[in-house]
Amino acid sequence: MTRLLFAVACLLAASSTAVQAAPDILRKSLVRIQTVSQDPDIAVPWNAGRVGQGIGAGFVISGNRIMTNAHVVSNARYIFITRYGDPNRYPARVKHIAHDCDLAVLEPVDEKFFEGMQPLELNGLPEIESTVHVYGYPIGGERPSVTRGIVSRIDFLPYSHSGADSHLVIQIDAAINPGNSGGPVLQDGKVVGVAFQGYSGAVAQNTGYMIPTPVIKRFLKDIEDGHYDHYVDLALTYLPLFNPAARRALGLPDNGLGVMVSSIYGGGASDGIVKPNDVIVAIDGMPVASDGSVELDGSFVEMNEVVERKFKGDKVTLDVIRDGKPLTLTVPLDGPFPFTIYANTYDVQPRFVLFGGLLFQPLDQNFLNTTSINNSRTRYYFDHFLFDDLYKERPEIVILSNILSDPVNAYADEFQHAIVDKINGVPVKTLNEVAAAFEKPADYYVIEFLGAGRPLVLEAEAVAAAHDRIISRYGVLKESNLQP
Amino acid sequence: MISRLRLFALALVLPVAAIQAETTAAKADTDSVVRVNSTNQAFNFVRPWIKRQPFTRRGIGVILPGNRVLVTAELVANHNYVELERATSSEKSPAEVVQIDYESNLALLEPQIPGFLDDAKPVQLADDIRVGSRVEILQLESSDAIALTPGVVTTITVLPYPMDGVALLIYKLSVPLQYRDNSFTMPVFSGDKLAGLLMRYDMRSQTADIVPDVVISSFLQRAAKTPYQGFPRAGIAFAPTRDPQFRRYLGMAPGQSGVYIVSVQHGSAAEKAGLRKGDVLMRIDGYDINEDGNIEHPHFGRIPFSHLISTEHLPGEKLLMHVFRGGTDFDLELSLEPRDPSTVISEPLIMDKAPRYLILGGVVFQELSRSYLREWGADWKNSAPPRLVYLDEFQDELPADRGKIVFISQILPADTTIGYEDVGTVVVEKVNNREIRSLEDVAEAVKNPVNGFHKIELESDPGTIYLDPKAVEEGAEALKASYGLPALQNLAR
Repeated sequence: MTRLLFAVACLLAASSTAVQAAPDILRKSLVRIQTVSQDPDIAVPWNAGRVGQGIGAGFVISGNRIMTNAHVVSNARYIFITRYGDPNRYPARVKHIAHDCDLAVLEPVDEKFFEGMQPLELNGLPEIESTVHVYGYPIGGERPSVTRGIVSRIDFLPYSHSGADSHLVIQIDAAINPGNSGGPVLQDGKVVGVAFQGYSGAVAQNTGYMIPTPVIKRFLKDIEDGHYDHYVDLALTYLPLFNPAARRALGLPDNGLGVMVSSIYGGGASDGIVKPNDVIVAIDGMPVASDGSVELDGSFVEMNEVVERKFKGDKVTLDVIRDGKPLTLTVPLDGPFPFTIYANTYDVQPRFVLFGGLLFQPLDQNFLNTTSINNSRTRYYFDHFLFDDLYKERPEIVILSNILSDPVNAYADEFQHAIVDKINGVPVKTLNEVAAAFEKPADYYVIEFLGAGRPLVLEAEAVAAAHDRIISRYGVLKESNLQP
Repeated sequence: MISRLRLFALALVLPVAAIQAETTAAKADTDSVVRVNSTNQAFNFVRPWIKRQPFTRRGIGVILPGNRVLVTAELVANHNYVELERATSSEKSPAEVVQIDYESNLALLEPQIPGFLDDAKPVQLADDIRVGSRVEILQLESSDAIALTPGVVTTITVLPYPMDGVALLIYKLSVPLQYRDNSFTMPVFSGDKLAGLLMRYDMRSQTADIVPDVVISSFLQRAAKTPYQGFPRAGIAFAPTRDPQFRRYLGMAPGQSGVYIVSVQHGSAAEKAGLRKGDVLMRIDGYDINEDGNIEHPHFGRIPFSHLISTEHLPGEKLLMHVFRGGTDFDLELSLEPRDPSTVISEPLIMDKAPRYLILGGVVFQELSRSYLREWGADWKNSAPPRLVYLDEFQDELPADRGKIVFISQILPADTTIGYEDVGTVVVEKVNNREIRSLEDVAEAVKNPVNGFHKIELESDPGTIYLDPKAVEEGAEALKASYGLPALQNLAR
């Protein structure tokens, strides 16, 4: 089945300039992308998963590259691209993909694709209320489509592809149609955004979103070294400082500046440098208002936007007040992004260990997208993994995700979805440690689960005797995958 | 010929005798029951300073010897006014609730007009109910005529009770019950003896859950003593030992029965008896415990062994436990006692008293209880604040000296709380550098501001908030007036 990838569309009535510009863009810059993808099978992780097809849009940019959305080419097995008026299908491959900002760059296997094509240039942020045109292959027909809308607002919102990242977005007053994804949004012949997501509420109307050029340019700059790094993040939360008592207690003047740091995520960029209760009064020399905003390029944006525009290895300076004394802190932006457990991941194979018919998997967003968990302790560990510092003691939440029923595990049902804590008395905090524990020879494998009370005991002999039976009966192709 | 005649005669006599037995057996009587009308008013745990709308529940109480009336606790929960009405004469008397027990869902009432029950026929408890026994549910028609619906005891088991969630013995009846105006508390009779009180009825399956005579008897025995002591409990959790690999790992012999002790609560009777996590409890009070935790009871058949601890014995009595540990087995003596309420971190059920709270400049402090979490409705485990649900559910894992969990339940926006409007439910760790283990701690701590401010340290975001003590004090009356607060605190226990 072919599915049209989700995107933005606007009702038309093209302006006179667009009427002249459109044919050129449609012929020379717009690309139709058809992707054959294979999503992993989380529940039966040794299986290759279901094959599906999707259609999205893309456009030619400098350097013989094609820009599109990451979600148009996620989990791709085979991609082919077509251009207007050319019956040929050109195979293509993903050169760089950034799931955190939903962008990707493709290249055709055969450079001949670019003959007669014309790259589009990137522009800056469009003005609010200015007109933009959206190009793509949305539902409602086979041929390319142009629609029009105006810029409704510029905001900082979640990107639904990863589900865990928020960046700058531009909202345009258009209805949403699948198939526009990855298509260019133009103003005066230059790209001002990539159409990428809609608003899935019954109440909202004419609400479509595009990725603005600061995010696109950041992505293109990041991949200049041939490698995409994740966005960087301060990995802290803060409290706006409106309260007069709080301001005086912290020794702050009534000048409307400063936010108080609430928590620091361990292992993140600020860990060990910034402390809870520090008051951030400036970021890179720009004053931070008491609601957390800074003035950047003439508009007020959330403080985070300053960090958003930086790259792994960059630094950010924070002017803070700690215990009443001013202090300048330099935060190197190289810590790992702490929120990956909550992000949908793509282009990775599920990790698992199978032992005695018991399937162990690390709990992550991909797992929860396919399985609901009723074990309240496990759910709590996932939901509060960061906020209650649970990750500090336990880098992964490894659970007994499934049981391939066999006499060897006949009494294991009560442990389904419980978190593995120890095996043979040794704490196990990652899937790799679970795998290693089962490889150590022993008479009994005593598996302790968090809060479960009784351990689950497997006799090594019974496990060995059940091995071939389970593998053949359940068609197990692989007994573990420790590499993502 | 003669023998055939005899056979005939016997065949004729038998049914007649059976009919006679049924008609002459003593029956429940309107002089043994009394209508009970209770006007109740529940508290609101989300806005702890108000009471909800009052409502009236009706039920049929059973007159017991000693001028007392037995009803379900649910009928008179959070009562403002309880009234008795004789079914025969329609005379009324206000009544006092002399004892209420939410664990067993039972309450005892006493009329306040002397002699009100003088000509009544008090009821004795049945003691011969078994699976298969035929019993009758008593209802009253509006004409005060008696309505008896026969039913059969299909199952006797131990199940959680509706109010407190404690598991006690239950009779399950199969009975086609029709609706009459008395819905809360219906007595169940076996002849003229009380077999139990109906506490739940499922219209679709036509099954009723009955608080049985044995639970009532235990309640009455404990109600006769002051102070009242609840149902004894051991304070343990256990797992079955059916898994043969697990049994071999524990070193249990084939055929050896018992359950694996998973946890022993701090300060519980089991802990005092020396029972430990990892022990196998094989026998209690002379009964073998099977691999699933059931005993073979001489009257009730296969039921969980907890019935012996909770209901067959009284606080203060001692039971022998036979325990298997580390390859040997030995006896431990369990001295029965009810759960000590002071060790409970999050109370399962708060009734008949106003929720405790303290408001400081618009910041509302409360102590965690399941009554608070239940305000989120039937799905509270999924919809109430997850951190609080977790703390409630796994409170046995918290340190024994944790005390109460004090949290900010809401912020009433005021000049003092500007900027804190978005603070959600969050656990309080310290106020003015004092560790918080009760609302009394908060009340004490606010007497000593730190550097001229109230400093409130929280378990999670936003971390720390400050209030101006002078502004809090000066704004107190205005806060009370604008939000309609009768008082800024209720610390009564």
